[in-house]
Amino acid sequence: MGLGISTLEKRIHLSKETGSPLSTQEYFVNMGPQHPSTHGVLRLVLKLDGETVKEVIPVLGYIHRGIEKIAEHQTYRQSVHLGDRLDYLSAFTYNWAFSMAVEKAAGIELNDRIQTIRTLFAELQRIQSHLLWWGVFGMDLGAFTPFLYGFRDREMLTDIFEETAGARLTMNYIQPGGLMYDLHPNFVKKVKNFLKYFKPKLKEYDALLSGNIILQQRLRKVGILPAEQALSLGATGPVLRASGVSYDLRKQEPYGVYPQLKFEVPIGKTGDCWDRYWIRLEEIRESLHLVEQLIDHIPEGKFMLMKPAVKIKIPEGSYYTRLETARGVLGVFIVSDGKEVPYRMHFRTPNFNNLWSVTAMAPGGRLADLVAILSSLDIVVPDIDR
Amino acid sequence: MSLRIVSFKKVFQGIYSLLKGMNVTLHYLLHPSTVVTQQYPENRETLQMNERYRAQLIIQHDENDLHKCTACQLCQNACPNASIHVIPRKGPVTGKPELDYFIWRMDTCTFCNACVMVCPFSVLKMNGTFETAVFDRDLLTYNLTHYAGPTSTVLAKVSDPEERKKMIEPRNIYLDKK
Amino acid sequence: MKVETIAERVSEAWPHHPLIALGYLLGCLAGSALFLSVLGLVLIYAERKIAAHFQCRLGPMRVGWHGTLQTIADTLKLVLKEDIVPSQTDRFLHLIAPFLCLLGTVLAFMVLPMAPWLQISDLNIGVLYITAISGLGVLGILLGGWSSNNKWSLLGAMRAGAQIISYEISATLALLVVVLFSGSLQLSEIVQSQASGWWIWRAHGVGLVAFVIFLIASTAEINRTPFDIPEGESELTAGFHTEYSGIRFAFFFLSEFISLFVVAGLTATLFFGGWMPFHIGAWATFNQIMDFIPPLFWFFSKTALIVFVIMWFRWTFPRLRVDQLMKLEWKFLLPLGFANLFVASVVILENWYFFPK
Repeated sequence: MGLGISTLEKRIHLSKETGSPLSTQEYFVNMGPQHPSTHGVLRLVLKLDGETVKEVIPVLGYIHRGIEKIAEHQTYRQSVHLGDRLDYLSAFTYNWAFSMAVEKAAGIELNDRIQTIRTLFAELQRIQSHLLWWGVFGMDLGAFTPFLYGFRDREMLTDIFEETAGARLTMNYIQPGGLMYDLHPNFVKKVKNFLKYFKPKLKEYDALLSGNIILQQRLRKVGILPAEQALSLGATGPVLRASGVSYDLRKQEPYGVYPQLKFEVPIGKTGDCWDRYWIRLEEIRESLHLVEQLIDHIPEGKFMLMKPAVKIKIPEGSYYTRLETARGVLGVFIVSDGKEVPYRMHFRTPNFNNLWSVTAMAPGGRLADLVAILSSLDIVVPDIDR
Repeated sequence: MSLRIVSFKKVFQGIYSLLKGMNVTLHYLLHPSTVVTQQYPENRETLQMNERYRAQLIIQHDENDLHKCTACQLCQNACPNASIHVIPRKGPVTGKPELDYFIWRMDTCTFCNACVMVCPFSVLKMNGTFETAVFDRDLLTYNLTHYAGPTSTVLAKVSDPEERKKMIEPRNIYLDKK
Repeated sequence: MKVETIAERVSEAWPHHPLIALGYLLGCLAGSALFLSVLGLVLIYAERKIAAHFQCRLGPMRVGWHGTLQTIADTLKLVLKEDIVPSQTDRFLHLIAPFLCLLGTVLAFMVLPMAPWLQISDLNIGVLYITAISGLGVLGILLGGWSSNNKWSLLGAMRAGAQIISYEISATLALLVVVLFSGSLQLSEIVQSQASGWWIWRAHGVGLVAFVIFLIASTAEINRTPFDIPEGESELTAGFHTEYSGIRFAFFFLSEFISLFVVAGLTATLFFGGWMPFHIGAWATFNQIMDFIPPLFWFFSKTALIVFVIMWFRWTFPRLRVDQLMKLEWKFLLPLGFANLFVASVVILENWYFFPK
């Protein structure tokens, strides 16, 4: 924290007179760790000139739990559940990323059933994560009702997850070598019910929030992130796609059963908040389409291909695997020295890079714009601090 | 203000979009059947948790209150944060290692289900008893086995009930304070 | 229907029966204090229940039957809380800010005609008085934000100040339309002038536009979503009343809900006839049937309807950004209000409205 504080202090002393005829001065405000609309414990130091934001300095580390350090003392199967706690809204995807990294490094082959079920859960999780984002986005902008609607619909998915995986938030379901449980007998029926129930709800969401002129005015041309800047900041996921760059790992480096599925990847035009909003809603539609393609064609087979009690050993070397979560590209980097415990394990998390695009987008806008931008980035702070 | 004529259409479109949104919320107000709240303590009779829901770890005992745990300690090795301690003892009658205490610490358990997955005899299970809140943290360290002794298969081979009773010692759910 | 306000009764009785006058005065004080507190409780409960049903949930259900005693429990809790005054603040300003807010609202309540026999005071410049008194509320908010020694509160207070004084202008312009139609600033006269029909339909298009402008401007006056940036919960935590706790926070809250009632009552009085039943011109039998329903019921049901509509706005729309709010007022509502006023004056001169005088 030493480097951070000195930089912060230096910046505070550099706060200057704004030069307007009324002799005003810029001032620093702390959008502190406890705040209703930083999604998690994130501290933003803002340099304001009246209502205009001049600079945003994120200060991290309030929820650092040393997950990567813990992983250095645990076997591979014991580290899987740590990924749940990183981005708890994409828990399945983080389990999958870690399991995929271990399987690729150890050379474990999987069957079609496992891959299909993993893809199915990842897409359902994407819908669920975007639903929560939609609700919280409305709430940050002042519309309190979408929060409740988003959670009500998300509850149907959480129930489906609870029935099969046994838990609602930190599932630990996708393990190296397969899955923890087989699909529950009610799974297919419930997913089909959900699909039937949810499609008209999307139209309702559009009527309530997307078409609303107040929302459009709040979001259009706000927080524009040009494509080159997004790429240089390392932003991925909907943030990058909104700026016009067509980059989705499900299409570029497919994994699971994505090569056999037909789906579109929505791309934005201007990179403003509206594009980020609209792309996520379109992604929900595409995920629904994907689930429809998969739900009737789950192949038979075993759900776990190795004994859980066996301690996995990975040959020496470093391995990097990545996949696409709801928020961007997640990478798992493992350095192994041949033992059952990794030498180093690092997560390249999407939220870390996405957060820093705030420093590029917010200056020049107003405080209310900052809240809209931060919300449209869809960050989950435990993912940033690990 | 020559732009006014162009913006009138947008004004009406804007007002129409607002009215559409109000229509959505009105629909939910006028249809009380869409309420999704469950009143918790009042619905305990009919509340059913899912079969696989992970709220509390138990050792499964059969109808004679016997279990199949051999104190192999695979679950203890699989637990990521040492929330399980399997304490074996030398059986007073058989002379072989058997289970004495099975300590599960609920305050450090992350409910990751690794112990359930690795148990070779399917002894452990997570059930849906979620009402486990206590006021004293010491009460979160449980002893899950009802007795210290050999497994039910070993005990089934012993035909004499008196012999069986000698091999078993009952254990409480909370460890006796020394 | 004989119209006599309580102020008139007091002044009549004073010279000869001073005790009766005193009785009227004290009764009025006690009555209005009781009424306003009960009103606050009922409105807060209604807001929570209506919000819950908009959001497919139930709202308060446990305290009392279906949560009816919830607000009493909340008020009791707030009264028993510690009263915190931050250390490096202007103590005097911090202490009086909530009272100024409440004062502005209660003074505006004093001229509201609720029934022919129930109006506390009937100034002959009623409308002008109300416009002036709303300014006290701004003072309370500004002082509250300034004295909290908190940059977030200051932001909220400054926004509120700008917002309220801007929207007062549009509200006044819409009010003026009704004043032109009824020919008087006195609120009881305005109600009487709607004996042949309410202005909202009698002054067809002009009345409707004035009503819409007045509704929007009033929602902005009382700092409710979509105009609630001063207390923008997601941005500034609690805006200008962050540093208040206990009963003084309750006063801010109470003043918001009472001004909700006052604003709705004012809208009802100006555009929907106040306590005047639904009359249509000179249709005698129809009017007589309508007269069976007591005027107090008419007033409260109209006010309740408008309160409901304002609550509906809150739970449906996101909030506007500060500069969009200012743009809406100065570049859109104000020119519209002026144009409306001009058209209204033409309509009145040519008697182009239903049942002209």
